[in-house]
Amino acid sequence: MLERAGVPTVSVCTDAFVVPARAMADVLGHPDFQFVTIPHPIASLSPAELDANVRAVVGDVVRILSQA
Amino acid sequence: MTGAPELPVVEIDEVRRIMEDYFERGWTDGLPVMPVTDSILAEFLAQTSRPADDLLLAMPHLSRACTVRLAAINAAMAGCRPEYFPVVLAAFSALRAEGYVTRAIWQSTTGTAPMLLVNGPIREQIGLNSAGNVFGSGFRANATIGRAIRLTAINAFGLHPGELDQATQGTPAKYSACIAENEEQSPWPAFHVEHGFEADVSTVTAMTIRSVAHIEARHTTVPEQLALDFANTISRIGALIHETTSACIALGPEHAALLDRAGWGKDELRRYVYEHAVVSRELLVATGKDAVSGKTRWRLSSAHSDAVPDSTPDADEVRVVGSEQAIQIVVTGAHNAGVSAVIETFGPRGGPPAIAALDPAPTPS
Repeated sequence: MLERAGVPTVSVCTDAFVVPARAMADVLGHPDFQFVTIPHPIASLSPAELDANVRAVVGDVVRILSQA
Repeated sequence: MTGAPELPVVEIDEVRRIMEDYFERGWTDGLPVMPVTDSILAEFLAQTSRPADDLLLAMPHLSRACTVRLAAINAAMAGCRPEYFPVVLAAFSALRAEGYVTRAIWQSTTGTAPMLLVNGPIREQIGLNSAGNVFGSGFRANATIGRAIRLTAINAFGLHPGELDQATQGTPAKYSACIAENEEQSPWPAFHVEHGFEADVSTVTAMTIRSVAHIEARHTTVPEQLALDFANTISRIGALIHETTSACIALGPEHAALLDRAGWGKDELRRYVYEHAVVSRELLVATGKDAVSGKTRWRLSSAHSDAVPDSTPDADEVRVVGSEQAIQIVVTGAHNAGVSAVIETFGPRGGPPAIAALDPAPTPS
């Protein structure tokens, strides 16, 4: 939605939501939509654990944003 | 069944093939569905003056919408008789008014279900059960009207479990959840009359729910004891997602009569439960729910990095219901034991319930 409005965007979800994320991308007409996954869960992680998960995917986030 | 009644002759292999085909296409909730033909669909559409292409419910985030025609197909597949269809249509109006469904609640990990409450003369006209086993099985109208909503979610909106329906566990109510009020054995005005409708109007109320928790209180004759029992169940910690919660008390007729004999009406019960549905600050701390998220307002531990204090951080006893209006009361079930239930609703946490009147029957042309 944001990307359609001209804002370069990357979605991040946990690996528990890969199937619904792909299904939503299909529904919205972007079957090849690229998104980044991090390990599940989020809500019960410490800030340090969350920070580590985010650091592991920063490269992917930048890569997808640069393709926009 | 006894004897050998005259039965219509059908080619059973063909019926079986059609049913298996519906399964293979993913058009079911896991149980067999009724095959639908154009002529069956026409019988349903004849029950309403609304055009078949009329929009009932839109989910713009999915680029999908449900029309009168799609709802009719799914009602027929669910096993509804055509004359149930006006209730299904009103259910969609009530669901739209409630608002959760267009905010993607049917896809949520929370795993809620829409529960329908029917009031008025339609209950008797189509055989909706409002008495014994009201949350259970055995009554075609209740079973199939509730199921029509689920099949529509699956077939019109594509909400298949594990895909666009992300429910972590869901609830048995996702198969079907349609009850009626036992107006005849209630000491008080019917639910829809309480909310401004005429008694001879039929209505459907939509409630997004998750659990139905029963209250055993067969021996008490004291209204305060009974009300405390409800308050205790409503204030269970596990129900607390947000800072406060909401509930619908489904009073068995025996409990309603007990309250009425003591001079209590719905307002007295509501007020008492609201005031006594509390948890101790100590228990909130012990269960890691003593604060709220500054972003989502969900309950979490004060040690969490998103935590901000809840609304009453200095109170030793914390109210878990946001307002008296967040407690709805309905009378339903058999008049045969001191059993009631608390339906854990996802709102309204204030404000009126979502009630829609059935359209008048179309005039024959």
